[in-house]
Amino acid sequence: MELKSAGRVIGRILPTSASTRALWISVVAASAALLLLPDMVRLDGTKHADWLQFVGRFHPLAVHIPIGLIVLVPVLEIAGKFRPALREAASFVLGLAVAACLGTLVLGYLLAYGSGDTGVTVTRHMWGGIALAIGLMLCLLARSPWSGAANGYLYPVLLACVLFALVWTAHQGGTLTHGSAYLTEYMPAPLKRVSLFNNAVAAGDANSFYGRQIHPIFDANCVACHGASKMQGGLRLDSYELLMKGGKDGRVVIPGNAQGSVLLERVTLPPDNKHFMPAEGRPPLKPDETARIRAWIEQGASPASRTVAGVVVEERPKEAPTEPVGDYSALMPEIHQMAQAQGAKLLAVSAKPSDGLILTTVDVASNFGDAQLAQFQKFAPYIVEADLARTSVTDASFETLSKFTHLCALHLEGTAVTGRGFAKLAPLSRLTYLNLSETKVDSAAIVPLASMTNLRHLYLFDTPAQPATAGDTHTDERSAQ
Amino acid sequence: MKQHPLCTDCEQNAGILDLPVPAGLKQEWVALETRRRFLGRSGKVLGWAAMASLLGEAALRGAASGDAKSSAIMPGADSMKLPHFAPKAKRAIYLFMSGGPPQMDLLDYKPNLAELFNKDIPDSVRGSQQLTGMTAGQAHFPIAPSHWGFKRYGQSETWVSDLLPYTARMVDELTIIKSTNTDAINHEPAIMLMNTGNMNAGKPCLGSWLSYGLGSMNDNLPTFIVLQTKVNAKENNQPVSSRLWSSGFLSSEYAGIGLRSGGDPVLYLADPDGVDREVRRKMLDAVEQINQQTAEEIGDPETNARIAQYEMAYRMQASVPELVDLSKEPHSTWDLYGPDAKLPGTFAYNCLLARRMAERGVRFTQVYKRGWDVHDNVTGMLPVLCSETDRACYALVTDLKRRGLLDDTLVIWAGEFGRTVYSQGGLTAENYGRDHHPRCFTTWMTGGGVRPGITYGETDDYSYNVLKDPVHVRDFNATILHCLGIDHNKFTYKFQGLDQKLTGPTPASVVNGILA
Repeated sequence: MELKSAGRVIGRILPTSASTRALWISVVAASAALLLLPDMVRLDGTKHADWLQFVGRFHPLAVHIPIGLIVLVPVLEIAGKFRPALREAASFVLGLAVAACLGTLVLGYLLAYGSGDTGVTVTRHMWGGIALAIGLMLCLLARSPWSGAANGYLYPVLLACVLFALVWTAHQGGTLTHGSAYLTEYMPAPLKRVSLFNNAVAAGDANSFYGRQIHPIFDANCVACHGASKMQGGLRLDSYELLMKGGKDGRVVIPGNAQGSVLLERVTLPPDNKHFMPAEGRPPLKPDETARIRAWIEQGASPASRTVAGVVVEERPKEAPTEPVGDYSALMPEIHQMAQAQGAKLLAVSAKPSDGLILTTVDVASNFGDAQLAQFQKFAPYIVEADLARTSVTDASFETLSKFTHLCALHLEGTAVTGRGFAKLAPLSRLTYLNLSETKVDSAAIVPLASMTNLRHLYLFDTPAQPATAGDTHTDERSAQ
Repeated sequence: MKQHPLCTDCEQNAGILDLPVPAGLKQEWVALETRRRFLGRSGKVLGWAAMASLLGEAALRGAASGDAKSSAIMPGADSMKLPHFAPKAKRAIYLFMSGGPPQMDLLDYKPNLAELFNKDIPDSVRGSQQLTGMTAGQAHFPIAPSHWGFKRYGQSETWVSDLLPYTARMVDELTIIKSTNTDAINHEPAIMLMNTGNMNAGKPCLGSWLSYGLGSMNDNLPTFIVLQTKVNAKENNQPVSSRLWSSGFLSSEYAGIGLRSGGDPVLYLADPDGVDREVRRKMLDAVEQINQQTAEEIGDPETNARIAQYEMAYRMQASVPELVDLSKEPHSTWDLYGPDAKLPGTFAYNCLLARRMAERGVRFTQVYKRGWDVHDNVTGMLPVLCSETDRACYALVTDLKRRGLLDDTLVIWAGEFGRTVYSQGGLTAENYGRDHHPRCFTTWMTGGGVRPGITYGETDDYSYNVLKDPVHVRDFNATILHCLGIDHNKFTYKFQGLDQKLTGPTPASVVNGILA
């Protein structure tokens, strides 16, 4: 049955008259030409005649014409159900769309060929455009039998495919002009987590000087044109290996020789120089950034070394965003009750329940001990900060605290803790802040804390581990050790 | 005159109590009826009646079923859902340099001025800027370069005056804003604008807004405390008054509580001889009962505020002596803050108290230091002012930092305006004066929420106009609120038919460039 009906459909769209036959032939010829084009005129990553680029740069402008026309086609087809005149217009618009699409495709090819653009996204965009043009021409063929009988699925399915190809191709094009992060940069965090747009490029050893200081400069200023999506001059700067490989004109970084490194030369030219980078009016690198690159190259351009002599950069590691906690709204009556009974309060971090609760004991500090703390265990999944400063909690509290797995900040300053049993805090993987000032904690006790990788702020002021000295003692923020 | 038996109200001598109305209503009437009260309240009563009829039953039902907090006349902060987002800073300490510190002598370095000594400031720079009465009569506006040298400090290579050797040591911690600007050119309007967002009295100040919006972290201490520094009589002191820490149209519970700069921090806080804590408690309970009665009869929210204040005072009887007891401070504290900090009322002492308050969960502490109004004798007075404040500011920031409190405390240093580059009065090689200048002044912040080690905004070569990134007072305040988790546009209070807010009706914006 199905075969038969398929046969009937094909029978209907096969050329019958001379004019349709001519259309068929031209479509097949054009499709073949399009499919062979990338092979015949290869995008080789080198620049070609300027006029090609001049004409080609009209592509981003012209591209909107076929987009508008293509989107109009299904609109007219559907509206045509109610007003037949519109359906007739659809055929005309479809014809226009084919013409505009072919024209734009040529412009686009001129742009890519002329400017020497290559890269994954360029290729995808190109094939998307070709598929789109072929699909559109097939639509043109499938439409006339369909409009005669106004049934069959081939044309609607083809049109749907064309629309899908349009969206995909347009997205690739948008990625080329605006960069891959453009669409998702300001996407709300929950959406971001579920979406697939989460393709961070590995920066190598994240703790090396390259990872922390050099790669971010390239990432912010260069990879829009020298990255996976666009490889101007055949150069990619989105990983250490590719950076060292250089572009089609050879290496851009020569370890130990900053003077001879093309990369540094190009970013330090006067901004009006033709070869100045970043090109196309993008803001130049800042003096401290070029200084950092120079020092790094001068001292061997190592991917792994942690420090570069003579360069001291402000180290402010980005805090990891706090993980959301569950919604505690249902527990509010109990939370109020606790505050009444205990004096210790659970204060909301913000109006958003997912930001969690802060255990505040400051008004009842002297009466708050391990037993009172244990009573708050029930709320542990919602508590992100526990202020136990100057309370009478002891080392025994670590047992309870180990259940507070959502804890990001813990204040134990001025308490009787000695740090015996800090190892029990290991499950607190989110802990970034721990204040042990004015306690009896010594340097031996804090050793187990070294394994807590997220712990960034450890305060030990006025403890045996870090006695308060005369004059100004400085911060106890743990350096990357 | 013959009277209809039902027409009671034309009867000459009948009192209202003789009217045929239910006894309960009569009682209420007695409670309300004094002449003053009647006149005072009648307007409001009519208003309430009108509103009740407009809102209809829904309003009554809402009041009946709502929880205690939302049915109170003053809407509690709970109902506003604050903070709007997770804050970087839980509390703030505001070091207020009253009088207007001269920015070009402290942090806004202008090396070109030395060549322009005694030359008139170009009219093109001065433009149409209004002058104060003190310099409006001057025929010349001779440029007075700073008397002090500047050097670069820290990794941020920030220029700092030789007057501020301690501030220089912490520049990498500071977010210096050179482009702060205001609308007012005289002290009172400018200091009101800075504190309340409006030049006229009657609006709540920043601390009151925070106290109202964020509430208390420690029920035993006020949410908002004001510390005044003892006056140095040699300095030109402009008055600061409780208007600056007033709660305006918010309940007076949210007003700043001032601690005295000498003697007892709070007057009559200690129980007199022969009165022990129990007697005091009984007395307060009795007073509260009476106040409760008044509250029920009159319905004035201020009575509730008074009840709350009595309770706060009672708790402060225990908490304040502990707060100001510095005997347990370690040696390192005195090494850091210097000997001044041992004398109650000095700026250093107040900074130390501010740190202790931060530890004890006081939401907002404002320390006032007067005397920056250097109209003359800058070379004589500025070293005095700097020696009083420089080390203490450094000590406070360093102390907060080493104790791990700077992560969630915002410290703000600001005056109400800047000073002119041209000299007020005679300019000599040795001395000069500076008049008020609203178009630019330098402030700094540090701690939770702001980016350390940066300088934001630029002024022209005369430190007269802002060239880049202006920060108006309302932007400044919007940014402070932002650091504490508050969206200044959403944080409003209905009063006089308007959604009142700290930043006022003119659009204000958070200064994103200084946020961490």
